[in-house]
Amino acid sequence: MSRSKSAYWIWMGLLGVAILAGLVAAFQLFTKGHYLFNANDVLMWSLPLGVYIYLALTSTGLTLLASLPLVFGIQKYEPLAKRLVFLAIATLVGAFVSIGLELGNVWHMFYIMLSPNLSSPIWWMGFIYSVELVVLAVKFWRLHVGDWHSPLGKVLGHASFLAAIVAPLMIGSVFGLTESRVTYFGPVMSIYCLMMAILSGAALCLFYNLVLARIGGSGLSESIYAIQDDMARIFTWAMGLVIVFTLVKVAIESATVIPDFLNYHKYAQIFGGIGNLNTEVILGLLLPFVLMAIPSIRSTDAGRMLASGLVLVGTLAMHMEILLAGQSRPIGPKAEQYPDYIQYFPSIYEWLVMLLAVAVALLLYTLGERYLKLEAAPEH
Amino acid sequence: MPRYAMVIDLQRCVGCGSCSISCRSENNVPEGIYWSNKITETSGTFPNVRYHYIPTLCNHCDNAPCVRGCPTQAMHKLENGITMHDPDKCIGCKYCEFNCPYGVIYFNWRKPHPFWRQQDALIEGGTSSPAEEAKKAGGKVIPYYNPERAETLPGIRPKGVVEKCTFCDHRVKKGLLPRCVEACPADARIFGDISNPNSQVSKLLGKFRPFRLREQLGTDPHVFYIRDFNPAHYQPTKGGV
Repeated sequence: MSRSKSAYWIWMGLLGVAILAGLVAAFQLFTKGHYLFNANDVLMWSLPLGVYIYLALTSTGLTLLASLPLVFGIQKYEPLAKRLVFLAIATLVGAFVSIGLELGNVWHMFYIMLSPNLSSPIWWMGFIYSVELVVLAVKFWRLHVGDWHSPLGKVLGHASFLAAIVAPLMIGSVFGLTESRVTYFGPVMSIYCLMMAILSGAALCLFYNLVLARIGGSGLSESIYAIQDDMARIFTWAMGLVIVFTLVKVAIESATVIPDFLNYHKYAQIFGGIGNLNTEVILGLLLPFVLMAIPSIRSTDAGRMLASGLVLVGTLAMHMEILLAGQSRPIGPKAEQYPDYIQYFPSIYEWLVMLLAVAVALLLYTLGERYLKLEAAPEH
Repeated sequence: MPRYAMVIDLQRCVGCGSCSISCRSENNVPEGIYWSNKITETSGTFPNVRYHYIPTLCNHCDNAPCVRGCPTQAMHKLENGITMHDPDKCIGCKYCEFNCPYGVIYFNWRKPHPFWRQQDALIEGGTSSPAEEAKKAGGKVIPYYNPERAETLPGIRPKGVVEKCTFCDHRVKKGLLPRCVEACPADARIFGDISNPNSQVSKLLGKFRPFRLREQLGTDPHVFYIRDFNPAHYQPTKGGV
């Protein structure tokens, strides 16, 4: 057996173990209940929900990048299109795994269709992401059979683009429409989610291509190499946008005297920080931005890999920070049963849900690369 | 159709907790979950301190954020204004709980009443197990199970769904007062039809200046508080510099 073949089977074995462990955890959750999470009636949404947000938004970012060639007709990016659509599907499947195991009764999900509530942002979020998954799957099938420019293909491309624009706005609304929790920043949260989607999607695209080239051993193909420069630019711009938003958010949080924010601010730095800047913002946003601003670093594969890798971890941490800090204090009478501030560290079951979601996405990536010719592009 | 509301007279309320205990047995509420609860606050600095006690329950808001956000309409409004929950439609997303500004919705993280499900006796051969006790008493899971609760809602709600106060809709339907109102020894809870100007609740709301919790959010809660329990008095004074 050659070295690369044995590495492949070791990798598949690791994914198999991770998925098996995740399935055992899922069985325990279904039979025993969600008390196995370190969540409670104050901090009710924890790591699995953060992972869902992160993966769903990353999938959205990948779809938006795929729309550059598929909707806006930028031919230069066509060699990336099929792979991006596939990565978006796989990442979204991972997101669904995570939220599926977060729900108390996933078997009642058919009521989303039978008894829809059109005023619910959660309903819209679920509906749009379900539509997006189906549209992306059909779009991928069309690309796979070589249909790049048919009217049906165009409609599918436009539909997935529209869904990808609206879906993060809906995730943001889930938090932003909660009037009683002002620390989620109202409707602005939707804009934040859209920007974070573009950022984590661009980071994954950059990182994935570099890892793929390294695994393949032959480096990036010429067509992909040319695109990577542009991807690095989009990635840096997305970081810039999120930095501006984050700094404004930090400034408002620091200056306001609204009691909710004063309490929030006290507990917002779950991962620590320097002054009012959280650790994940410094290491997962500002540092990679600086790295990408230095020409001698941003032009190297190692520099790009480090920067995009930091952002991939940083964006998950940023989502978790926002998610947890807004729930860390009991509301109303719940203060009678719970301490002033809820300490949180994920339980083994929450880690296993995350492991399962990520492993499912990675398994799909691996199988896709092996069997689905993801670098296919149309001939002009 | 009536629009039900509750007035809580804080001058009459003695903070005995009878509302919470009666609610618990009426609705088979599991440990760790509170349909009827309280907010306690201490104000001032020793020795000038006071203790405040505000009983709480679902506010059955007209603009209920829990209803607006529920993706499957499991949380819904009845025509009489009661905010009701259907566990059969609930997917356990907990958004209602997240969205409720009053902290009165709880999630069943595990199978309810775990104590009464235990099969092991405290003293082997000496005492019966909690599960045996419940069975002997003819209860469903708990020995004090109230079967009437099951008339409009599963008598005991399963794991993986939320639950909260229903204004005892199963009693109101039969022309009975909510259990907490009936059980209050101080008559501090007054229940009735707010759309009827001659109801007791309407008269009280016209007589006193009521307040509601977090009114500024625009949720239009239908639990009103009147008066305040304060036996303290002080000598007239203009203070000083």
